[in-house]
Amino acid sequence: MTAQQPAPTSLSPVARGNVARRPLTRAQVEAFGAELDALRDRTLADIGEVDARYIKRIYAAVRYTEAVGRVLLFFGIFPPAWILGTLLLGISKILENMELGHNVMHGQYDWMNDPRFDGKTYEWDVVGTSDNWRKTHNFQHHTYTNVKGMDDDVGYGLLRLFPEQRWRPFYLFQPIIAVIFALMFQWGVAIQDLRLGRYFAGKMTREELAEQFRPVGRKMRRQLLKDYAFFPLLAGPFFLPVLLGNLVANGLRNLWTYMIIFCGHFTANAEVFPKEMVENETRGEWYLRQLRGSSNLRGGKLFHIMSGNLSHQIEHHLFPDIPARRYAELSRDVRAICARYGIYYNTGSLASQFGQVVWRILRYAFPSKPVKLAGKTLVVD
Amino acid sequence: MAASSALKRLMNPLIDPAAFDFWVGKVSPLLSWERPLARVVAREVSARDTVTLVLKPNRHVAPVMPGQHLPVTVEVNGVRLTRQYSPTQTGGRLAITVKRVPGGAVSTYLNRDARVGDVLELGTPFGAMRDDPSVPGWLFAAAGSGITPLMSLLRAQAARGRVRTTLMYWARTRADLCFLPELQQMARDWPGLTLIPVLTREADLVPGEDRGRPDSDLLARHVPDLATRQVYACGPAGFVGQLERLTADTAAGFLGEAFTPPERALVAGAPVQVTLARSGRVLEIPAGEALLPALEARGESPAFGCRMGVCHTCACQRLDGTSEDLLNGRQHSEPGMLRLCVSAARSHLTLDL
Repeated sequence: MTAQQPAPTSLSPVARGNVARRPLTRAQVEAFGAELDALRDRTLADIGEVDARYIKRIYAAVRYTEAVGRVLLFFGIFPPAWILGTLLLGISKILENMELGHNVMHGQYDWMNDPRFDGKTYEWDVVGTSDNWRKTHNFQHHTYTNVKGMDDDVGYGLLRLFPEQRWRPFYLFQPIIAVIFALMFQWGVAIQDLRLGRYFAGKMTREELAEQFRPVGRKMRRQLLKDYAFFPLLAGPFFLPVLLGNLVANGLRNLWTYMIIFCGHFTANAEVFPKEMVENETRGEWYLRQLRGSSNLRGGKLFHIMSGNLSHQIEHHLFPDIPARRYAELSRDVRAICARYGIYYNTGSLASQFGQVVWRILRYAFPSKPVKLAGKTLVVD
Repeated sequence: MAASSALKRLMNPLIDPAAFDFWVGKVSPLLSWERPLARVVAREVSARDTVTLVLKPNRHVAPVMPGQHLPVTVEVNGVRLTRQYSPTQTGGRLAITVKRVPGGAVSTYLNRDARVGDVLELGTPFGAMRDDPSVPGWLFAAAGSGITPLMSLLRAQAARGRVRTTLMYWARTRADLCFLPELQQMARDWPGLTLIPVLTREADLVPGEDRGRPDSDLLARHVPDLATRQVYACGPAGFVGQLERLTADTAAGFLGEAFTPPERALVAGAPVQVTLARSGRVLEIPAGEALLPALEARGESPAFGCRMGVCHTCACQRLDGTSEDLLNGRQHSEPGMLRLCVSAARSHLTLDL
């Protein structure tokens, strides 16, 4: 390192590999942002019939896998039918949750003017309401990505994943809590916006909580009735295998979505940022923060579809409203742009990236040398 | 019918209409839980660049009265686009006549690509110009494609008979008149109909035609008994406004329906009217200014989140008008979603707020 180079900003102690985190100059950041804007415009201009056909095919795949899965579960006393039925229903729920629901709710397909794929009104097949999701995810998480204190997804108010979070004895239990959270992921997401912490801290009255819970409760009741009463009852004497199949299918989806989503922002080289960073943040700086707070997963085409293309978490965070099927081709350009500016592009296999997430969960259950966020910057003047 | 609708109400909370339509659509594409759909059962080229499509509607299509408009939605290049047509209903069939507009996505699609067997989505019929058998005499004033709703009224009246109707039909040249052979045939068969094409740019007129923009002389010449007539006027806003000034006080009644051709984009800073469809408020804001802060400065409080085009919290329907996406400068005129925080008005706008 030469004397002229600014000192590297606080580097996570678990950061792996040779990750250069040299801040860019203001001019470089804006040029970088302009290149991404140009890439965005090129892609948007090309969006049309193929993308419409794709999302309709995904919709059809959701319907067919669900129907075949549920029918097989009616014959669930035969173990092969139960296993296949449960798997198909799980796949259907994963597709609906990620490649269909999540992406549609970002408004990726609003340009079609098709009420089936309308981001503002789509209601997905999970216990959380789409309205709460649009607020905590589309707005808070995507605008303030990995900004401590603004993006609730940093540990979901439950886990300590970064040394920048203050340690409390409660976190000693987090290896167990993380497993329970994974198994119940959709429930965790459903109550995220209720901010139960505020209620327990006495900052919210019981009435206020009840008021906020009403739509969530309605949605939960509907989902529970569907999977644990309606379809099992429809099966008559085979009530139990159907109920168990639905339970396992929901559980499979919980585990899968948890794994994919945690790999998006909690890998070793993903960073968190201080609140003051978003003040007067330029578009270029916003792009750069998205990039440094996100991480990708390598895999085949089917893997990307099953992860709702959130395996391209970086591209998703740069361009949340571009149809996700475009992320694979966008990633080639984004990588090239990053290489030009010497910006680290965080990607790896599922095993490696999730391994790093598990390490964070275990490591930061215990106290660690505090790392200050204040003063962290991505730009040098 | 009553039993089935009661059953439907009971089932409603259990049914996901999109999933229902997906499965029943495998049986017949006309079946749907609640969407009004119609199948093209006949296609006929009625003139150059003009086709008539005969549609078989499903049970969710409301009856269309003569003179009403019907929204027709087609998918072009993955995007659903909606246009209004004035159908003629005969028996259980609806016929729409579509003239191909150069550069028009929907009219081109319906002319060139729509085939017998295709299914179109329809909307709710609307429009206040209805036929009324108790009215003894009418003046229909049409300009350009304003003829279409009047045409279905004329067909209904021709079938009914015993009514005096004068149609004054403005166009640039004779070649721009739609439905001319049908109108001439109608005038021969129905003595109560007087047909007066008014051509503004035709060099030589034939008997029965006239020239000039609407004024009192022209009206006095062709409709001396205006005081006994009910007037329906349909055409561009300026035309309908002029007819209203000329006849509203002197005729037995006046009803106008104006359509506004796509406006040219306004320069930044020029004042535009933004109509909020739900509250009915009309605000004046400068063209080119981001809509979200502009609406807030005028006392509106639309939902918002990131204020930078990321989160879609402020997305709302642009029902009418042209907006600009401030992120890339592209302009959009089709009804569809816009994000208030990164969009500006480039013409008068109607928003679903």
